[in-house]
Amino acid sequence: MWQQVEESLRESMGRVFTKIASLLPGILAFVLVLVLFLIIAWLAAMLVRWVLTAAKFDERTSSGASTLSEWAPVHTPTILVARIVFWSFVMIGILVGISAFEAASAESGISAYVFAYVPRVIGAAVLLFFGTVIGRFLSRSVLISAVNLNLQYARLLATGVRWLVFVLTAAMVLDHLAIGGAIVDLAFGILFGGIVLALALAVGLGSRDLVSRSLEREAHRPVEAPVEEKLHHF
Amino acid sequence: MPASNMADETKAEIQQAGAVDLLIGISGSVSVPELRQQIPVLLDGLQKHAEAARLVVAYPGSAEAEGVRTDADASMPRFMPYSLSASDPASLPWVIWSAAAKAICSLAVDLNAKACVVLHGDVGMLSAERLQLLTQPILEKQCDLALPVYPSRKFDGLLNHSILAPLSRALYGQRVRYPLAQDIGCSARMLQKLSESHSSRERNEGALLWPVTYAAISSYQVCQANVDVHHATQTEGLELSAVLTSLAGSAFAEMETYAPHWQRIRNSQPTVTSGNSAQQINDGDPVDAKPLVDSFVLGSRNLQEVWGLVLPPVTLLELKKLARCTPESFHMPDELWVRIVYDFALAYRLRTINRGHLMGALTPLYLGWVASYVKEVAARSPLAAEQRFEQLARAYEEGKPYLVSRWRWPDRFNP
Repeated sequence: MWQQVEESLRESMGRVFTKIASLLPGILAFVLVLVLFLIIAWLAAMLVRWVLTAAKFDERTSSGASTLSEWAPVHTPTILVARIVFWSFVMIGILVGISAFEAASAESGISAYVFAYVPRVIGAAVLLFFGTVIGRFLSRSVLISAVNLNLQYARLLATGVRWLVFVLTAAMVLDHLAIGGAIVDLAFGILFGGIVLALALAVGLGSRDLVSRSLEREAHRPVEAPVEEKLHHF
Repeated sequence: MPASNMADETKAEIQQAGAVDLLIGISGSVSVPELRQQIPVLLDGLQKHAEAARLVVAYPGSAEAEGVRTDADASMPRFMPYSLSASDPASLPWVIWSAAAKAICSLAVDLNAKACVVLHGDVGMLSAERLQLLTQPILEKQCDLALPVYPSRKFDGLLNHSILAPLSRALYGQRVRYPLAQDIGCSARMLQKLSESHSSRERNEGALLWPVTYAAISSYQVCQANVDVHHATQTEGLELSAVLTSLAGSAFAEMETYAPHWQRIRNSQPTVTSGNSAQQINDGDPVDAKPLVDSFVLGSRNLQEVWGLVLPPVTLLELKKLARCTPESFHMPDELWVRIVYDFALAYRLRTINRGHLMGALTPLYLGWVASYVKEVAARSPLAAEQRFEQLARAYEEGKPYLVSRWRWPDRFNP
């Protein structure tokens, strides 16, 4: 009995080692290709940076009224383009590495599956990037405008706008990646609907008197003579 | 304005005009019949400098629309329309003024005018004496740019007194009270300079015209004249942050363009000022500084994250201390305010954050300075308020080495 168990375990261990041994050339090929493409990506990014600096790309792009650097101001347009080039090469390296892995090992169908999913990943990454940038930009715009309007709840307003955009982005990204299926749509609908309903209830029930008083006051407000400003900034 | 962009009637007028001694340009919209009535009064003071026939009066609009007669009359100057590039009524008043001044300067260059005066569109305010005060330095004293000194009021033109004028003085070394004055006089070579600067910046619609900067970098002579007029600028409905973005933003953009020039300038020079000092106007009741302090404190509570990207740690610490002060003990030192302005100018150049956000974040700080100023001069005379502005201007000059260090080594020099 024990001999049979031992025999069986030895056989399965042997199969595992055989499988690992058959995967090793594929993994090695993947790593090699990735390292090669990392070097190419670094060289290409350096070249692009050098060419754009020589062509005074930053100065040309910053001359317009609405520029790339207005949205992502910490990095210059040259650095942004160089980074896009770098990561594009890295992505290509990963895809080629997966093909090399498939060719070097006995596994088949991996690259077909990954390649079919790549456009979704790229789309999701782009969505995530723009969602984050827009969320931060809008949040800061709302914060500064609200402070300059002397609104005491400026930070709350800005945080609300930021998370609204982030949640919307997250839902779009998950939907794009086909993760979660209908649950994401449902959860997002419930969340957004809930927020709107909560606000409507808060205004409709909690602040009903306040709103009606405010509207009445506006309707019956006498025409006031303009008060002369004592401070003139210009 | 290149000749090709001009209205047809203006082109025809230029060909007929011949030699022009003086061009008087009206920068705002104006009723031409009313203007024609005022002109003989203005000419009284100009008899010895220019014959009426060699005078040109430029106004915005078109001859047909205004029903201007084109018949030659030796006793009257020629009237010429010019077109405004910034005709959008939503444009800020100084953007419209800059566009008008640029168009007038270009017209004067096309006419080979010996001198040009750009005047505010308020026809009722035109007087021979005022015109003479702006033309005399140009025509008699070889001055290239004549700027007015308006009668001072304690609570007027605060943005000019707290940022534009002292910044211009510290950077370009010209002690000018109103660098963005709405009445200016220019010599022929100054006109050429302004016209050239205009063509190189045509793309940027919101760009303002800074005559003092061009005069300073070209080493042209600048003069001032005390005038007894006060132009009301329509700023109703304008947000302060939009005003700051337009005016201070434009000043910061100029700093970026002329950095190699202003970094070489060490001290400011006094500007020759003619005319009798205008009467100081008392502003009446004191202004309540509490709402201004509240705006600053609200900004301090919410904008630390944004200010942290722009201002160095020492300044942030001082601002935090200031936000804890009671309205009664609130005081923003000039040195602190000057460093704030310089740091924002640097952040504008480096695009540390979006420029609209940057100028929006400057607004509560500016209100903090205004609160401090209002408290200080509340019980003082307008003359004392002027001395206060002089003190601030000196602080700008003393703080210039800080700006130069930060500008040259923004990463290494960050106290």
